[in-house]
Amino acid sequence: MRFLTLREGSIIVVTVIVAVYFTIVNDRFFTHANFITLLPYFAPFAILAAGEVLLMVAGEIDLSIGSVYLFAPFMFYEFNQWGFALVPCLILALLCCLVVGLINGIFTEVIGVSSFITTLGMLLGLGGLTLVISHAAPVAMPGAEVTTKTVNVTHVINGQTVVLQEKVNEIGTFAKIFGGGTYSELIWALIIVGLVQVILSLTRWGMYTIAVGGNKHGAAEAGIRVRAVVMRNFVICSLFAGLVGILEAVRASSVTPDTSGAAETMFRAVSAAVIGGTLLAGGEGTAIGALFGALFLGILRDGLTLQGVNADYLDFILGAAILIAMVINVYVGRVRKGSGRAA
Amino acid sequence: MQPDEEVLRVENMSKRFGPVTALRDINLHLCKGEVLGLLGDNGAGKSTLMKIISGFHKPDSGRLFVKGEETELRSVVHARSLGIDCVYQDLALINELSVYHNMFLKREKVLRPIPLLANGAMKREARAALDEIGVTVPRLNVPVARLSGGQRQAIAVARTVNSDADIILLDEPLAAMGAKEGAMILDLVARLRAEGRVSIIMIAHNYVHVLQSCDRVNLIQDGQITFDKPTGETSVEELNEIVVEEYRRARAAISGA
Repeated sequence: MRFLTLREGSIIVVTVIVAVYFTIVNDRFFTHANFITLLPYFAPFAILAAGEVLLMVAGEIDLSIGSVYLFAPFMFYEFNQWGFALVPCLILALLCCLVVGLINGIFTEVIGVSSFITTLGMLLGLGGLTLVISHAAPVAMPGAEVTTKTVNVTHVINGQTVVLQEKVNEIGTFAKIFGGGTYSELIWALIIVGLVQVILSLTRWGMYTIAVGGNKHGAAEAGIRVRAVVMRNFVICSLFAGLVGILEAVRASSVTPDTSGAAETMFRAVSAAVIGGTLLAGGEGTAIGALFGALFLGILRDGLTLQGVNADYLDFILGAAILIAMVINVYVGRVRKGSGRAA
Repeated sequence: MQPDEEVLRVENMSKRFGPVTALRDINLHLCKGEVLGLLGDNGAGKSTLMKIISGFHKPDSGRLFVKGEETELRSVVHARSLGIDCVYQDLALINELSVYHNMFLKREKVLRPIPLLANGAMKREARAALDEIGVTVPRLNVPVARLSGGQRQAIAVARTVNSDADIILLDEPLAAMGAKEGAMILDLVARLRAEGRVSIIMIAHNYVHVLQSCDRVNLIQDGQITFDKPTGETSVEELNEIVVEEYRRARAAISGA
């Protein structure tokens, strides 16, 4: 029972229950092939949600990650068109995301516009800018090209050695690391979630983030530089979103300027963070919870699809499942605080 | 060292917040080892003065001398580096953080070479500091949201007393406290006064407490210090009379208008 009182305890239990359920009702669920199918359903969202957690714990929210996610690969493409190599393109595209995060931070902390409004504006504005830059047309992602090469494969048939030429598809090392490799996104997700979790629970930065989200005035009185903390978290959140955008574009080897899809991506990431046990009000949150929140949403989508649930019902069931998961969270939160006070 | 060595001096300090004048013309001094009681009506400017001396607000005009040197405080951290620390009226505690993290907020101990929080060391020191003051907090890793008002106040005071500060500002340290916890804080102030290492400015409302715990009383009225006497030369009656007079004038002003 002690486990359940952990902030992320309830979502881990709920995720395991859902996974066990699908394993029982569908023998194709618990297979390696399906695990590979599942990865893009949750790994990108886990990274986006981890960035969002960092910001939500500080009491702010970033809705613009949807557009940053779309903007980054197009900037990557543009820089490549100007003749930069892949790694410089990546760095420059991420620098653009950093600037976006900085602008979000300045509007919120210096000018004093609420982060909800600031980043809503940024979501729309940057989405529009992406359409302008891309001329609303999809592009092939540089560095994700598939090359075919011919290799000699030795076969042994009835004791006879035969060498035959076969064609093998390959992607470059850059693509393998940044989204193209089968486990690339999963590894990125695990590293980033682990990093954010360590930041939140074991560093001064995390402590100040919790302090700012829990009691902004008190944090300032204690001498914490509130602005710096919030702005830094805005920047990190934006950087993660940009990275995910590039990973996903490389994985798909092309990117389409689909702004409504980008907004949906943002909503799923925020949902993953909230389902994972991070408070919208700030002061509390967990990156591991966000990972499981994303996994929960991914398993649900993947499992229901495997079950052959009609696509029309999918979002309806997802919505209901999110509400049920949140009810459990709130209930467990009350037990944890032990004060009968709503979390 | 002379007994009357000044550790803090404020001259002609003023502060406005938009149309509101919080401090008009404040002149105040604090000697080494002294406990100065600061009295005044709500809104008279007591807390604003505390927040200026602690580096949280910047004054519009006036001069501040810390240990004989004129200083312009840049931040709370800057004030702290000069030995000034404040227990704010709202305590500046973070409900979501544990007791010991609150005790070490902005003074964290970190490991080397990787600067991760040294939670074990902080917990041990927090325990020792609370024991010394005599605060009973069963578990240090619970969030402070779980504690009573008095315990929270005690933790905020312990945090400041346990720091290296030698000029301590206490903004209504007895607010939200029961009699027993209040007595504990007053005992602590008495002990610090006897030791004479730190100098204290304490805002309070209870005249009896002020006369017991302080060496000198200042009264702040309408953004100015209007009364400055050693506690031995004044009495509850005199202080009462001043405040009653203030009420009388306020009522006259209202009925006159």
